[in-house]
Amino acid sequence: MDFDLSEEQQLIYQYGDQLAQRFDRKYWMENAATHRFPTEMFQQIADDGFLGVMVPESYGGAGLGLFEMTLFMEGLANNGIPLLSLVVSSTMSLPLIARYGTEEQKQRYLPDLCAGRTKFCFAITEPGAGSNTPEITTIARKSGAGYLLSGQKTFITDANDADFALVVTRTTPRSEVTRKTDGFTLFLVDLKAPGVDRAEIDIRVPMPESQWQLFFDDVQLTEADALGEFGRGFDILFDTLNPERIVVAAICSGLGRYALGRAVEYACEREVFSGPIGAYQGLQHPLAESKALLEAASLMTLKAAWCFDHNRPTGEAANTAKLTAADAGIKAVDASIQCFGGNGFTGDYGIYEIYPMVRLLKTAPVSREMILNYIGEKVLGLPRSY
Amino acid sequence: MKVLVCVKRVVDYNVRIRVKPDGGGVVTDGVKMAMNPFDEIAVEEALRMREAGHVSEVVAVTIGDKKSQEQLRTALAMGADRAIWVEHEEAIQPLGVARVLKALAEREQPGLVLLGKQAIDDDCGQTAQMLAALWQRPQATYASEVVISGETVRVTREVDAGLEVIDVDLPAVISTDLRLNEPRYVKLPDIMKAKRKPMDSYTLPDLGVELPPLVERLETTPPPARTGGFKVESVEELVATLKEKGLV
Repeated sequence: MDFDLSEEQQLIYQYGDQLAQRFDRKYWMENAATHRFPTEMFQQIADDGFLGVMVPESYGGAGLGLFEMTLFMEGLANNGIPLLSLVVSSTMSLPLIARYGTEEQKQRYLPDLCAGRTKFCFAITEPGAGSNTPEITTIARKSGAGYLLSGQKTFITDANDADFALVVTRTTPRSEVTRKTDGFTLFLVDLKAPGVDRAEIDIRVPMPESQWQLFFDDVQLTEADALGEFGRGFDILFDTLNPERIVVAAICSGLGRYALGRAVEYACEREVFSGPIGAYQGLQHPLAESKALLEAASLMTLKAAWCFDHNRPTGEAANTAKLTAADAGIKAVDASIQCFGGNGFTGDYGIYEIYPMVRLLKTAPVSREMILNYIGEKVLGLPRSY
Repeated sequence: MKVLVCVKRVVDYNVRIRVKPDGGGVVTDGVKMAMNPFDEIAVEEALRMREAGHVSEVVAVTIGDKKSQEQLRTALAMGADRAIWVEHEEAIQPLGVARVLKALAEREQPGLVLLGKQAIDDDCGQTAQMLAALWQRPQATYASEVVISGETVRVTREVDAGLEVIDVDLPAVISTDLRLNEPRYVKLPDIMKAKRKPMDSYTLPDLGVELPPLVERLETTPPPARTGGFKVESVEELVATLKEKGLV
């Protein structure tokens, strides 16, 4: 087993360090405060060729795997600049199009997406189907030569800035299928098409991305807009949901590391009684424990990415990574806030503001409880609880 | 014309430097390392010269252990055409580096050697000058602007008195200062291309260079901690205090 990163992978991991020299945590926060899409930073990332990490070179990407995507995203988060935009587009949508798209679809979408000329979002969650995906009711019904899409999606990241959405929809109603996961199809939907409407959700977590409800009212689609095998959409969902969990885990580890770095710096300098407060084990041990848990989670995350790239079963590692990284991230940020005392809650120090994002990622994109259900039932073989 | 750019592996400028408990240097185990920022500026300048058509080949060179290849790979990812790694495990001092670079300059016959004005680890700021003397070529240090015209190069130098502009004949040695340029980002396609670019390696015997240590480091200590300031009540008191301390 070789745990050394290649020189290429090291440079990818370090990309966030150089990006942060121009677009730092402060820039991220300024945009996060108003949910403004960080256009300048996004374009820089596009120009530097990182939007298409997982897209083949022939379509404008780099032809690398989820492992490199994970390193890239963790490297950004290490610098306090987590980007959920790159989860829904570069991690979820682009690689899925590259993997299951027709030649025509790949030519049509991927080069523009890799260059940052267009953007994709990913629409799966519904008000009545969050963790329980088979209960999705959005449906594309046959109409003449094409289909009419109707339904409602919620918590769709970047649905305002995105040009297209990858929409998970039923093409056969739940009542007409024998297996609840049958009758799903993924569609590539133009968000400028007639019948598409959206409403912003008031999200209290500082982040540059905004969250939207999407409404489809008889949006016209053609057969050529379907991604992958018709009616078998559910089968390919986990080729995008596992990467989502893995990259979100990387964001949690990175943000935890960023908070920890800030706390260590402060704890080495700040003196209250005699000597720096970092010498107090009441503060030192929580930081040390967080460090240990973060690195363990980070390693599990890379293992999960490796499993995905090598076509191994990925569910167990992806879920374990997401669970441990979110927990470790929260613990690290909490221990860091504690180090800063009252200063930890001020805008000047900007430490408390790290917390909402790691806390969000305990719940999204898959909750801690659903992960434990998965590990309990699928990994340990315990009886199903619901 | 070929440009030789020298890069050094140093502790990343963001890292908080810690002295080893035994005083034998600074802690580098598990510490993030990076290319010396002034060398990054040198690489950038060489690449701009190539893009402007003055230079046909940019060769990055470093001296160090195997890990120092990482900094060469960074230079290649920035756009250097090839790299030379001179293998050397122990610590190295400016005169030693200058000797190695002179040997390489004789082999490679570059029209220009570019290097950072100093490395941010030991801050010696001597290598460029020593190399120019050994190589017996002109030097232009602390460059904030470099303009090549034919066989000469016009260099604006940042000196204590202000800016000094000099013309030097090529081949020459130029050391780069902070304001010369802003180094480019490493792009993903270039990172991938870098993997396939050639990296030659030499040992000191290959180059016929011996490096007996000339300087013995006795002790390393952290700078004294800042003692903190105090408040004065009025402008008069401020002026009086500054005078008392001999600061005005």
